[in-house]
Amino acid sequence: MSSRSLLSDRPVFVVGTGLHPYQRRSETTYVDLGITAVRAALVDAGVMWPDIEAAYTGTALLGMGSSRIMLSRLGATGIAMTQVENASASGSSAVAQACLEVASGRSDVVLALGVDKPRGGLGAAPGQAGIPNLEGGSIVPFTHFALLASEYMDLHGVSDEQVARVALKNHRNGSLNPFAQRQKVRTLEEILSEPISGSLTRLQCCPVGEGAAAVIVASEDGIKRLNLDRSRAVQVLSSVTRTEGLYGEGVGIDAALTAETGMAAFEEANVDPSDIDVLEVHDAFAIEELLYAEALGLCKPGEAASRVESGDFDIGGSCAFSPSGGLLAMGHPIGPTGVGQIAEIVSQLRGEAGDRQQPEARVGMAHMVGIGAVCVVHVLRCE
Amino acid sequence: MTDPPVMVGHRCAICLRIAFPPDPYGCEKCGALATELDEFELEAKGSVRAVATVHRHHHPSPSTPFTVGVVELVAGPVLKAIVEGEAVAVGDSVIGVLVDGEDNDGNPVVDLHFQVVT
Ligand SMILES: [Zn+2]
Repeated sequence: MSSRSLLSDRPVFVVGTGLHPYQRRSETTYVDLGITAVRAALVDAGVMWPDIEAAYTGTALLGMGSSRIMLSRLGATGIAMTQVENASASGSSAVAQACLEVASGRSDVVLALGVDKPRGGLGAAPGQAGIPNLEGGSIVPFTHFALLASEYMDLHGVSDEQVARVALKNHRNGSLNPFAQRQKVRTLEEILSEPISGSLTRLQCCPVGEGAAAVIVASEDGIKRLNLDRSRAVQVLSSVTRTEGLYGEGVGIDAALTAETGMAAFEEANVDPSDIDVLEVHDAFAIEELLYAEALGLCKPGEAASRVESGDFDIGGSCAFSPSGGLLAMGHPIGPTGVGQIAEIVSQLRGEAGDRQQPEARVGMAHMVGIGAVCVVHVLRCE
Repeated sequence: MTDPPVMVGHRCAICLRIAFPPDPYGCEKCGALATELDEFELEAKGSVRAVATVHRHHHPSPSTPFTVGVVELVAGPVLKAIVEGEAVAVGDSVIGVLVDGEDNDGNPVVDLHFQVVT
């Protein structure tokens, strides 16, 4: 691995973000979803569409050729447009590609967009790989995570109720987010009702709806040339993508993959886990926040449940976890999710997050995992 | 009690990695061709590391509720499978049983489940 970081040689900044609310599947077209988010990001950045030099669209479910159909409605400027598919991390990978494009010097101002309209079923490649699988159809993702919850609770003496408190917090955060699919404060009793698999209940599983999220990234030169507001630009310190290795029998792959990706991201960013003030993690299922808090080194193994219970991971705590509501409450429309995480972190680091503001947030992180398994982590900092 | 069924996995002749189920493409550890992978028999016997009872399922089969476990085989590999019975707990010893079932299209299949050894 190269020790030199493109992102330190030619710094990349997020200069604008925009969202279309995450919502249940509706009649809204993906074009409408996408351009709503992009127009909001252009306004936020103070950038005109013809200033955008390339676009990456994170989408897993739209099918071929969505970018140009959508984005030419803003003006058919003829720029390079590319769809990026990386399962649940598709949006995160679109951001990664946009950052790379700017860091490489090829472009100064680039769009990363995430948009999707799930049609039921994920059409995931692993099922068609021709690799035999004893589990058949009986073990779907929520059962995979229910089994991880069982193992975690048994190992650390953690109760169902303690795991459910992750969802309690994230639903509360989501209630403050006008772009969240779920905006209701829930009681612990509500969260513990409606079992799905093992200790996981409906409200401890993320909703998969539709939506869009956009971020615009720019170089120092781009910021100067377009006379953008430097004080609102948030630097991307690191962008790391890894895939699952062999971790030894029985080792939880999601946490092991998160640990090595996170470590590489901290190293590239030259920050420590203790520097993180705010982060968005892939909390598709409540147990995941506990697993990843520990895997990322934000607390000791076995300690995450008590940290959630004490309020340490609340907005206003030592480190705010998923202030947007996370996948559990803001939602997980697949393509947009990873881009929306960056939008939330940028809003936090700019100090513009309103009721959801983590006080004095300076360093933030966004983390996604996806089927495969893949993991993408970004670390950002405001000056 | 009858002997547990034997599961056929593979062992890589190059790096000795044991895997189940056998892989038709190659070794995930060293990248050896599938022709380097030898059949390797594993006893369907182990213990439960994690357990979850499934209450909601997208397909009619298996009917809910059913219980899924992470089973650590005595021979090393760890796998997930249906564990039969009501009160399956972490740490329980289990053996494999072959069960007639149906796939999602209603075709008959033989599944490997586990059951608790009392
Ligand atoms: Zn091998």
